[in-house]
Amino acid sequence: MSDFRRSQNEAHPNKTNTLMTAIIVLLILFVGIQIWFLFGALNNALQGNIYFAVTTFIGSFLLALASLWLLRYLPDPLKKSSGKKK
Amino acid sequence: MAKKSSHDHPEKMPTWKSDFPIKEEQVTHVGRREFAKFLGLLSGTLALGNGVIVIKALAFPAKPLEGEHFVCNADEVAVGEMFQFEIAGSKVIPYILIHLEENVWRAFEQKCTHLTCAVRYRKDLGKIECPCHHGFFSADTGEVLQGPPPRPLPRLEVVIRDGKVYVREEKQDQTV
Ligand code: FES
Repeated sequence: MSDFRRSQNEAHPNKTNTLMTAIIVLLILFVGIQIWFLFGALNNALQGNIYFAVTTFIGSFLLALASLWLLRYLPDPLKKSSGKKK
Repeated sequence: MAKKSSHDHPEKMPTWKSDFPIKEEQVTHVGRREFAKFLGLLSGTLALGNGVIVIKALAFPAKPLEGEHFVCNADEVAVGEMFQFEIAGSKVIPYILIHLEENVWRAFEQKCTHLTCAVRYRKDLGKIECPCHHGFFSADTGEVLQGPPPRPLPRLEVVIRDGKVYVREEKQDQTV
């Protein structure tokens, strides 16, 4: 029996791959920016620049939220979806 | 299912296949899902770490040194020499005292601002040297002259009274 999801998957068999790559690239980007923030905050907080530490913390927190939100769009595990089809 | 895929040897399923009944495609898929989740977790941890810095800076601000501390007698350190001493507060902080010229004294924290190596005064160069990565600080102001250290050496004010050397927190008026 064909439904919308299945015909989509058949028309674009590489879709999951592309999606997964996009999500991982975005996540790596976020984590990279956060590492940069943390590094800057450590250096600056040692100089007594609390304002910088607060700003980077807010930025980092938002990025973490974005990362966790992105995880919602992870493609389903293959096992589960093939189980559903049967 | 296994019989279909092992058509090279239809008579027998290899042992490894029955031991790991997971398709390669599924393995990589799961791997990437786990990796993405791990990245999400890492992201949260980094945000937490940034928060800890803020909390630490807000709740435990660096305390200035209180009062004057006796270091040594002034005639114990010849001109151009360096003297190491420590002040115990919430933690023990090592300092160096430098007798730059007649009646010119300097006191700095001994921990390099790069990776906290112990710095020393080089009489021949007239600079403070960090031997670890060849950082140089001005012996006069503690400014970074060369090398990887990102910040100047924290300085103390030196007071000479009755031939004795004391140090105290520097007054903050001449900061940059
Ligand atoms: S620790 Fe002093 S220069 Fe690296």
